[in-house]
Amino acid sequence: MSLLELERATIRFGGLVAVDEVSFKLQKGDLFGLIGPNGAGKTTCFNLITGVYKPTSGSIKFRGSEIQGTPPNKIARLGICRTFQNIRLFPALSVLENVVVGGYLRHHTTLASALAYLPSALKETRRLKEEAMGYLKILDLQDVPNARSADLPYGMQRRLEIARAMATKPELLLLDEPAAGMNPLEKQDLMETVRRIRDQQGITILVIEHDMRFVMNLCERIVVLDHGEEIAQGAPEQIRNDPKVISAYLGEPV
Amino acid sequence: MTIALHLVAGVEFNTLPQQLVNGVLLGAIYALIALGYTMVYGVLRLINFAHGEVYMLGAYVALFTSYFLGFRPDQYPTGSTVANLLIMLLASMVVCSLVGVAIERFAYRPMRGHSRIASLITAIGVSLLLQYGGALFLPTSPPPSISEKVNPYYGQSKTFALAKPSPALAQEAEKLRPATESAKASYQAWLSTHPDANEFELPADGKALKTTAQDTERKYQDAKHKLDTGGVNLIIQTGQAVMLIATVVLMGILTYLVLFTKAGRAMRAVAHAFDSAALMGVNVNSIVTFTFVLGSALAGAGAMMTATFLGTPLSTFYGLAPGVKAFVAAVLGGIGNIPGAVLGGLLMGLAENTVVWLGYSNYRDAIAFIVLIIVLLFKPGGLMGSSKVEKV
Amino acid sequence: MKFWGIRFVSIIIAIVACLALQAFEGGRSDYEQRIIVLIGLYITLAVSLNLINGITGQFSIGHAAFYQVGAYLTGFLTVTYFAKQPIHNLGAWLILMMVVGALGAAIAGLIVGLPSLRLRGDYLAIVTLGFGEIIRIIVQNQRILGGSYGMNVAPKYKSIALVWMLAIFCIAVCRNLLKTAHGLPFLAVREDEVASSAMGVNVTRVKVTAFLLGSAFAGAAGALLAHFEGFITPTTFGMDVSFIILTMVVLGGTGSITGSVVAAALLSYLPEYLRGLKGPDGQALQIAGYNVVAWLIAVGVAVALIRWAINNYHGPKAKKYGLYVGAFLVGFVVRYVTSFGLKFIPGLAAKLIPVDQVRMLIFAVALIVIMLLRPQGIFAHHEFSWSWVRRLFTRRPVPQTAVSA
Repeated sequence: MSLLELERATIRFGGLVAVDEVSFKLQKGDLFGLIGPNGAGKTTCFNLITGVYKPTSGSIKFRGSEIQGTPPNKIARLGICRTFQNIRLFPALSVLENVVVGGYLRHHTTLASALAYLPSALKETRRLKEEAMGYLKILDLQDVPNARSADLPYGMQRRLEIARAMATKPELLLLDEPAAGMNPLEKQDLMETVRRIRDQQGITILVIEHDMRFVMNLCERIVVLDHGEEIAQGAPEQIRNDPKVISAYLGEPV
Repeated sequence: MTIALHLVAGVEFNTLPQQLVNGVLLGAIYALIALGYTMVYGVLRLINFAHGEVYMLGAYVALFTSYFLGFRPDQYPTGSTVANLLIMLLASMVVCSLVGVAIERFAYRPMRGHSRIASLITAIGVSLLLQYGGALFLPTSPPPSISEKVNPYYGQSKTFALAKPSPALAQEAEKLRPATESAKASYQAWLSTHPDANEFELPADGKALKTTAQDTERKYQDAKHKLDTGGVNLIIQTGQAVMLIATVVLMGILTYLVLFTKAGRAMRAVAHAFDSAALMGVNVNSIVTFTFVLGSALAGAGAMMTATFLGTPLSTFYGLAPGVKAFVAAVLGGIGNIPGAVLGGLLMGLAENTVVWLGYSNYRDAIAFIVLIIVLLFKPGGLMGSSKVEKV
Repeated sequence: MKFWGIRFVSIIIAIVACLALQAFEGGRSDYEQRIIVLIGLYITLAVSLNLINGITGQFSIGHAAFYQVGAYLTGFLTVTYFAKQPIHNLGAWLILMMVVGALGAAIAGLIVGLPSLRLRGDYLAIVTLGFGEIIRIIVQNQRILGGSYGMNVAPKYKSIALVWMLAIFCIAVCRNLLKTAHGLPFLAVREDEVASSAMGVNVTRVKVTAFLLGSAFAGAAGALLAHFEGFITPTTFGMDVSFIILTMVVLGGTGSITGSVVAAALLSYLPEYLRGLKGPDGQALQIAGYNVVAWLIAVGVAVALIRWAINNYHGPKAKKYGLYVGAFLVGFVVRYVTSFGLKFIPGLAAKLIPVDQVRMLIFAVALIVIMLLRPQGIFAHHEFSWSWVRRLFTRRPVPQTAVSA
């Protein structure tokens, strides 16, 4: 059984078909790439998977059960978490607190116990914070746990988003342009980190990325979208030489 | 069903046309104020809480201008001309524009880089400042009102009979009249023969006569009332008609300014995309000022007209209720949408007078909020606006 | 064990302090008691509004409505019950009424909170304000509640201790929320709803919880007010009260409990202080109209100068504060110069304004000034903490986060 399966997933906004009958499967442990020119429907695909939008037709299965139409917070509980293309951290919260929010869905105490300031709630808080520190270490952010997340430099904010998403302990992690705005050195670091996350934590990863070198080096399988339609699917080598992909990116030969 | 019956019990359908006409007249004023809200919101995405207070100041300016023209409460000049009205209108519009521009310059512009909530709080602050600060300096007790003598159309009205009462009703009343008159006459005759009779302690024969007279009189009056309310009459004060015409003219001017002038086009560009307009060389600050001039002038005009033609007593909270209702009108029509504001204003006026007509005049201020909540929950974009989806 | 020991002792201290306040103030004049009670009630109101407004970021500005629901509901129950049989233990009855008031207001809070699921920012603000007005208008038209003339709540029961216990309880609950991981979803919803829900936070539940808790505290405060005053009218809970509570939250700093407490204490004491001022003739102090105008102009000038300093001066901090002080001094000079000039305007010179009438004016000016100079409020998001006090003395940086270890 595949971990995630999109089957002819389609969404229309008025007359615009943003995602048109896209199908692909992710196996557990995949490092999967989703690429395509601007406006191809990649982020919309993410929004479909994470429940921000409900597909007009088609199905999305996670671990065999259909999840389309489930609200985003429930999807996160099922084990799918994401980062955002335009960074959406909680700006006024500290780095550590951002990650604790990610871990919050696994808390075991009631709100009442927190309001009464019972030891159980405090213990839980401490536990979540320790866990969060662990994720900060993985993303190499352990030195700045108390900085306001809005004050971090861009590259660190992107890493913090990944740490926050990992804190939900997902089975499937969706990264929306994680390398955008990074310099080549940072990108190299990020690539290694993402690979390490997959290898050590066993998290399946789906990446949207514009940087071809990044995707080709990182991902093992790639889906290419153009104008909401899936135009190719396969290993990086295949994709690189696929005439449809080339024409989608470079235009038709005149 | 019982509730519905209860709701309409005691409603007199023949007053409905009058209430609807009143609704349109009131709605036109709401529309005028709503235009200010909607234009400012369109350009700055700010609910200009102080707009109602600008309206209030407009009414006071009209009051002071009328004093200046000689129509003080302690003097009794007679005869006024349209020129007086025009002077007052102009004074209100000019002063309100200045106030609006000052508010924008000194309170809203510094907040532009901050969150919309911060601007909103500032707007609330300005509104409170004008309400309570104004109360310290402006005459409020006893509540002054503009002398009706300044209104050259005072007391003039035109009655339109929309429907005549059915002849059967007239016949019935006519049939009862002779009996009533004779009963009354016989009682009077009895009274004249007993000059020392106490009207409250009559002997039996006198009492019987009195009761008969009263009973027949009551029946006759009932029939007459039925006759009077059987027809549908529409009374339109000339002043109110003038008010409506002036409102339409002002809206026409506004439409021209917004649609066919360079500043208007720039304003629409700024409303569409504030930053891009600035990048394209539109002087955003002067356009915002222009917007406040237009909106505040309209509010001033509306205030002058209501204060003069309706004669409502003034206080510094004069703008609160109309301000809220006009804001609701703007939201109802789709905030940021100019024709929407006019439509919303008319609907609000109608809604309010319908509530009054249904006998719930105590709730006439609540209806605005009820409409607002319903609109925002079910059609947040308003009737003519479009709601935007947040991009993820 | 140590934890429970500290907990036990601190609760005892709080209760004893409240009872001591009651014992100390109980014998004093009604006027003084009223000030103490109002301060306690406004602290509760401001902190509870801050929970909705500052911590959860749902910009609600109709808080007086919940206050009103609590007051009228419990006032009505007391009157109805007392008409049938006497109430023997008024203290216990009042505590029961606080709970009832809290529940009633929480239901109202639930209704008002529902739009927050669909609306944001300014629209939500207007809707909450509208709900407040609708509730007020409905109450005003119920003859059984006294209509616009008001309702006598008999028997009345003055309990300063309960008022302050409620205030402390409210502060404690909000502080506990922020001190544990459970507070973070509330802050996260304020910061970014989409990201919160992507992280598994149930945004709906968080918002509704905030409205329920916040309005429940306001309802309990309303119950206390009704029984303290013994007489309530719909105007006791008008839009101006909502705006006063909002001013407290905004002035103190949205999100800062400390800020709300301080601002609530100051702003609820201010009008009473003004009312207590006596002129040279022993009558209530009056201020000349031209002086009010001069003050307004002076504040305007000082604010403009400080804004200029904030935006254009980037030198050392000490000098910057020097500039602020300079701006204040200039303000004072302006105030005297302009008042000298304005004296010659006949209308202004003759006008005498009783000083307690300027309170709403002061609130309005405070609201505008704080927005122009420090929109995050005086305390911004900072909280009082012992480590903060220590830092004041040792000048060593101590990590500051909403959830501190």
